[in-house]
Amino acid sequence: MNARLAGLVLALYPLGFRRRYAAEMKALLAEEPPRGMTLLDLLRGALAAHLRPLSGSAEILDTATRVRLSLSGVLACWVAFAAAGFGFYKTTEDHPFALAGNTHPLLGATHTTIQVFAVLASVALVAGALPAATIALHRARRERGRLRLLLGVAFLAVSVFAGTTGLLIALAHSVHSDHASPIDRGAFIAWGSIGLLCGGVCVVAARKALFAISLARRWLLWALSLATLLSAAMLVIAAASALYAVALAIDAPTLAGAPDGALAGTSTSISLFVQMGAMTACGALAITSIRRAWRALAST
Amino acid sequence: MESLRLTGVRGHCYYYVMRYIGERSTDPGLLVLTSLAEGPKHGYAITQDVQALAGVRLGPGTLYGALARLESKGLIEGLPAEDRRRPYRLTAAGSDALAEHLRSVQLLARTGLDRLRAAGALG
Repeated sequence: MNARLAGLVLALYPLGFRRRYAAEMKALLAEEPPRGMTLLDLLRGALAAHLRPLSGSAEILDTATRVRLSLSGVLACWVAFAAAGFGFYKTTEDHPFALAGNTHPLLGATHTTIQVFAVLASVALVAGALPAATIALHRARRERGRLRLLLGVAFLAVSVFAGTTGLLIALAHSVHSDHASPIDRGAFIAWGSIGLLCGGVCVVAARKALFAISLARRWLLWALSLATLLSAAMLVIAAASALYAVALAIDAPTLAGAPDGALAGTSTSISLFVQMGAMTACGALAITSIRRAWRALAST
Repeated sequence: MESLRLTGVRGHCYYYVMRYIGERSTDPGLLVLTSLAEGPKHGYAITQDVQALAGVRLGPGTLYGALARLESKGLIEGLPAEDRRRPYRLTAAGSDALAEHLRSVQLLARTGLDRLRAAGALG
């Protein structure tokens, strides 16, 4: 069991690291059956390998592979960022928060900034992915095989998420009470979990599809430029969200501390800070990934 | 160690020096370099040697993280793989870096012990 888990954890290492050391690590694991601590050590090692990539990884990975890795990394960061951002949105979505934006300039400005950059980021994502998606669809139409399966899985995940969202909206419209019942909360948690799962499936399928197609350098550059914009937008949204939370606590403390407020109670406040921390971490990881791709491009 | 009863600035200095020595002596990179000072070894042999040498059990993530860092700095190099196991050996730069580091640790340890002896803290 642990050996199988160790194999899965090895898959979390960066591609360059795996190409160089995975066979040796597997040989070591075969000599010494992994225990719980070994798995933790491997997880820590995988995280460290991502944060401190090999300086000679350019020799192991070609530039196109490096760019593809960064693009799929940014997509994964965006999905996680959107999930955390949606949590933030849910705690500040009620009408009084929109009204407070009209009264307090900083609240209004940060709220508008978040919305503008969220639209900008979504446009950058769609525009950046469009050439690769078109090429992948075109090839999948001509050839049966793995690519068609990957696109089908991604389409299915999006459909499941859209269907579940439709169900949740229908449920919300059928409830006429201002207070959420345990069933409503359960439905929302189920929807969030399904959303995360579908997002994860889409990220994996998109990454594998990106590696399965040949993409001209100009399209890689195009996608990377828009991924850079997307990553910068993530950081701007994270910063604006943090400012929004501070402004909310200072300018509208009554609203923030109301029973449904964003800073009502310790657990809600902690959850808000966790969401903002996750958003900042996703933005920072995306920028780091993008920098590596540009550095690889500059060295060729 | 408790019997030393060092307090104040000296106590703090002692604490930080011992922490420094402790951290450096269990640095996986240093342990790997020390193990390879004996001759080329592959991953499993390094973990066994380090455990016997310092009582530290290097997990595969820690070991290969250290090997990757040392290799990228040119302090060690991989030899042709035998089956799936690749032996590593010290480069000339790795030998120099290890010798320099061990000399500095030795000097630090000797100075610390001399000072403790002079302060009457050691028997």
